[in-house]
Amino acid sequence: MGAQNINLLPPLVESGQFEQLVQSGQTISATTSPYDNSLAVFLSPTTVSGSNSNSDREEPVYFASYDVVPSSERRLFIADTQVIFSMFHGMLESAKSREPSWIQTPEALELMRKFSVDYVNFIKECWIHASQPMPRTDGPLQFSADHYRSLYSCFSLFVVLYLPEPGYEDAPVGEDLMEWLNIHFIEPSTEEGDHLSSLDRPWEDEEFWPYLKRVTLRGLTKASLFFFNTLLQHPSEDLQDLVRTIIPIVESQPRLQNFSAERDFAFASRKWKDKVKAIRIEMDRVPEESRFDDFENWWDSLSDIVGILEGRNPVIQRVCEELGADWKEVCSAWGIFVDSRLRRQDLVDVAAEVLEIMPADPTNLEDMIHSALFSGKPEQALRYASQLDAWLSAHFADVMEPLGLLETDENSESELSKRDEYVLSYAEYLHSDPTQWKITIAYMYSCGDIGRERGDEILVRVPLRLHPSEAPSTPEEAIAQAVKEVSEVCFNYQREAVRRTVCRIAAQTCVRQKDYGLAVSYCISAEDWVSLGRVIDSILDEYVHNGAAEFAKQASKIAPSVQELQSRTVSEAIFVHRLIFAVRYSQIHKYKLEQDFVSAASDIVTLLREEIAPKSWWPVLLCDSVELLQYGSTLLFASSDAAELLSKLEEISIRASQGSGDDYLSVLTRTIKGGGEKEALERLKVVRLALARYFARCTIGSDRHALST
Amino acid sequence: MIQTGLIQNAHSDLVTDASYDFYGLKLATCSLDQRIKIWQLDEANGTWSVEDDWKAHDAAVSRVSWAHPEFGTIIASSSFDRTVKIWEHSPDAAQPPTVNGNGSTSQSQPSSSQWVERAVFLDARGTVRAVEFAPRHFGLKLATISTDNFLRIYECLEQPSLATWLLSEEIDIHALPSSSSVHSRAHTVALATPTQTSAPLEGASPSLVAQALLQQQGSASSTTSRPGPGSREADGGWCLSWCKDRYWGEVIAAGCGITGIIKIIQLSPSRRPTTILVLDPSPLAVSNPGHPEADKMFAVTTVSWAPSCGRSYHLIATGGRDGHVRIWKVKPAAEDDGEQGDDAEMMNSDETGWSASLVGDFDEHQSTVGRVEWNVTGTVLSSAGNDGRVRLWKAALGGSIWRPAGSIGVEQSEESGTQEGDKDDDMQS
Repeated sequence: MGAQNINLLPPLVESGQFEQLVQSGQTISATTSPYDNSLAVFLSPTTVSGSNSNSDREEPVYFASYDVVPSSERRLFIADTQVIFSMFHGMLESAKSREPSWIQTPEALELMRKFSVDYVNFIKECWIHASQPMPRTDGPLQFSADHYRSLYSCFSLFVVLYLPEPGYEDAPVGEDLMEWLNIHFIEPSTEEGDHLSSLDRPWEDEEFWPYLKRVTLRGLTKASLFFFNTLLQHPSEDLQDLVRTIIPIVESQPRLQNFSAERDFAFASRKWKDKVKAIRIEMDRVPEESRFDDFENWWDSLSDIVGILEGRNPVIQRVCEELGADWKEVCSAWGIFVDSRLRRQDLVDVAAEVLEIMPADPTNLEDMIHSALFSGKPEQALRYASQLDAWLSAHFADVMEPLGLLETDENSESELSKRDEYVLSYAEYLHSDPTQWKITIAYMYSCGDIGRERGDEILVRVPLRLHPSEAPSTPEEAIAQAVKEVSEVCFNYQREAVRRTVCRIAAQTCVRQKDYGLAVSYCISAEDWVSLGRVIDSILDEYVHNGAAEFAKQASKIAPSVQELQSRTVSEAIFVHRLIFAVRYSQIHKYKLEQDFVSAASDIVTLLREEIAPKSWWPVLLCDSVELLQYGSTLLFASSDAAELLSKLEEISIRASQGSGDDYLSVLTRTIKGGGEKEALERLKVVRLALARYFARCTIGSDRHALST
Repeated sequence: MIQTGLIQNAHSDLVTDASYDFYGLKLATCSLDQRIKIWQLDEANGTWSVEDDWKAHDAAVSRVSWAHPEFGTIIASSSFDRTVKIWEHSPDAAQPPTVNGNGSTSQSQPSSSQWVERAVFLDARGTVRAVEFAPRHFGLKLATISTDNFLRIYECLEQPSLATWLLSEEIDIHALPSSSSVHSRAHTVALATPTQTSAPLEGASPSLVAQALLQQQGSASSTTSRPGPGSREADGGWCLSWCKDRYWGEVIAAGCGITGIIKIIQLSPSRRPTTILVLDPSPLAVSNPGHPEADKMFAVTTVSWAPSCGRSYHLIATGGRDGHVRIWKVKPAAEDDGEQGDDAEMMNSDETGWSASLVGDFDEHQSTVGRVEWNVTGTVLSSAGNDGRVRLWKAALGGSIWRPAGSIGVEQSEESGTQEGDKDDDMQS
């Protein structure tokens, strides 16, 4: 996954000469990004004195990622395998509601096998896709076809060895192993076969006998029979006779799949072995001098083949070495010829014996993973797998744990189980691609408390806006949609704290965009009453800064939230109170704009009488009433209502004279440009005058009183 | 490890600090050139473009820190002009508000800047070297540390306006824990009168002008009275880092001067701040008498408290002039107070029950380490040293052993173009 140590471009100094920069007071520094697995790298001063500023430089900032960001086919691979991962975990989740022992039942094992086979099939698809020479619209392959082939061979071996079909756990493993070997490590090649079959006397080709040995070893009966048949034309009659005996024996080698009971298979195998022994006797009768043809000693080669059929371990090993085959081939052939009843649990000993003589290739991670799996060392397999691809170790570990192949105990230092360590390590790699956050957290949230908290750190940082590529929409809509998306994920994983934080951030963003309706609903959703209070203050500030019309427009957006809040039993009544005030106060301005002065007047009185309006807003309401008090044709206030206005006015005046003016006059003061308390009190004098006139009108024109008390 | 981007000409002088916002979509950089720049990531193509750029201080800016976004788009900057400033992103500030015009130079605020200065803290009696906002659950609060060896905690009292801040703690790091020297000053820093909450729209207010003047004087006097890069300042280190967890209350790691230690300080509204633990590598050096560095003290220049993310213990990384990167495992007081670590290297604080042990000690940098920092999940540590490399550290399987996980440098590659595995390099230059 990229080099461990890199140098950034453009370089700032010759190789090995960084000390020069340090001498001139410069050093390197970096900060890590929460967005992905990257860092910003820059040059910093080693020490700062007041005067070392030099403004002629061009200082760069570099960015580097410690994981190669998944691209092209890799992204597809990651996304599609996560679907299987999620289904697998859905199954494990549902297992929790069952008996603890259910996970060991054939039903559960069958499901685990099914999901693992899904992985294998998917890797295979990906390998085929990567192998095809075709133009790639999504950029060049990030990983080679050979890489996926490695994953394919490792995962399918894992399934063969550790996830047999339920009921077949104790069945002989040889044929399954040989099938696996034949799928993943094709030998001998088809070209060789084609070449040899095109010859009239193929035995004259030097590749003939090695080819025949290999197909025998691999149990490729069709090919071996074809070439045994060609030997019927061989000049040596001894050979022809032997081949005539061998052909039916090779043809009749018992195959486990053809038997319904293993006992019958074992019996047939024994009988078959006896027949092979008969060939050996027949071979030994061929005199030494007849054992050659014009090219080589056919007898020795045939003896090797019979040795394989006899299941002679040293012969198989020697032939494999001569053919350039490795320990895997020996182990697989062992299960066919040496011990056709070889069981999975016995394979460990066989593998140990074979690997002792023919060790796995330490430079080949795939081979090391295979050998660890053969040797029954799942943890070792995981270690090698993590070096090959974090994907492989994570998904191995994920299946190994429910199979009971891994300790589930937490490590005392990391406080994580082995499975969780591998899965989290993969998830961390996924974080290099922030657009894949849903996949990243799906893996993190499957890993206990630590995984959940790490997932929270990722989830809470999902940007609250849509990807630029998506349909253009207003910023508000984008936020609403992003919050909705994140909220859904929070709900699915039950991450309430994250949801609330996201709502709080969204509310803050909405206030800045003056979308108070959304801001209020996010505050309520986060049950963040302090912020709700601040949002309401911001709305009321609209009145102060931008006047009544703008205020009425903004406040009307929050009206629906009032009903929502009232339907709840909220302990934070004070904020509800303020919210109601803001909405009702905006309603007054709406009435005024609609010329519904009767309603406006009655609402002003209600807000004051029921003390819905905070004290600091009383003067503002009183000032608002002036226009209504002076309304020409009708008297809008009952005299008792007017008296209420007067009593509030009195309270303000008295308190202001006592030095508590700030409590009452702060808002009004702010609406007066450059004004202070004095100007505010002046303003209230106008109210007093209007009230006095109104009372006068009441007395004189009581017959014209429009409203009765 | 792969290069993913480049800003060719970010600043006209060395960059003193860079800090990502909460989402990592914006990057604030500050420089010796006294300016702060805000860069915006274009997610579609991975390039960075400058969004704002303004002269922020009258001397080099030392650090920038972002507040949690639930408080708004806010940064704090600390400077060698002995001030700390609070800036808010305010797209409404179409006309450049004059409150920003605090500079004595003719280099005026570019009209494009949407960042408004909301508060200035003038309490430090030395250059301010670090500033960091507290984790969000403690409210809008920040810690600063300056070369007067005081750790100061400020708390915002008026949130939407950001105008009023309380200097809630002023802690003499050296004097702690001898509690007599703790000045817990609970007075309001009257930076603006309440009527000025709308000041940005209404022009300069008298007090802010006065403040700017004061500051100008302050910086002028500081340049004259500054003893120059005396050995003390040159050899010292001033750093701090908040504990990211809520559970343990307000806890902060801080180091200052040349003591070579980090103090873990607990803040509490009801009690005076107390040192609950000291991270001191020197006993370990002393235990090895042959070691040439055994008696010397080396300043800690940088500290970073990892997010614990569900772990029962904390990881704190330090870096210093001794060239070491250290990772401390800090265990809070055990509730049952059961087993205590029998590790010889374990440091225990008898009174508080907190304990620390060194789980990583690396001298790969072989020279002063200027910066250590954790990633958001507390799993990858980065360190930068005078060897010219940024090194990464990760825990090996099992979590007990920390290992190098790659490095980044800016030297010419020895054989350019032969770096293995870089075939996928999508570098932009």
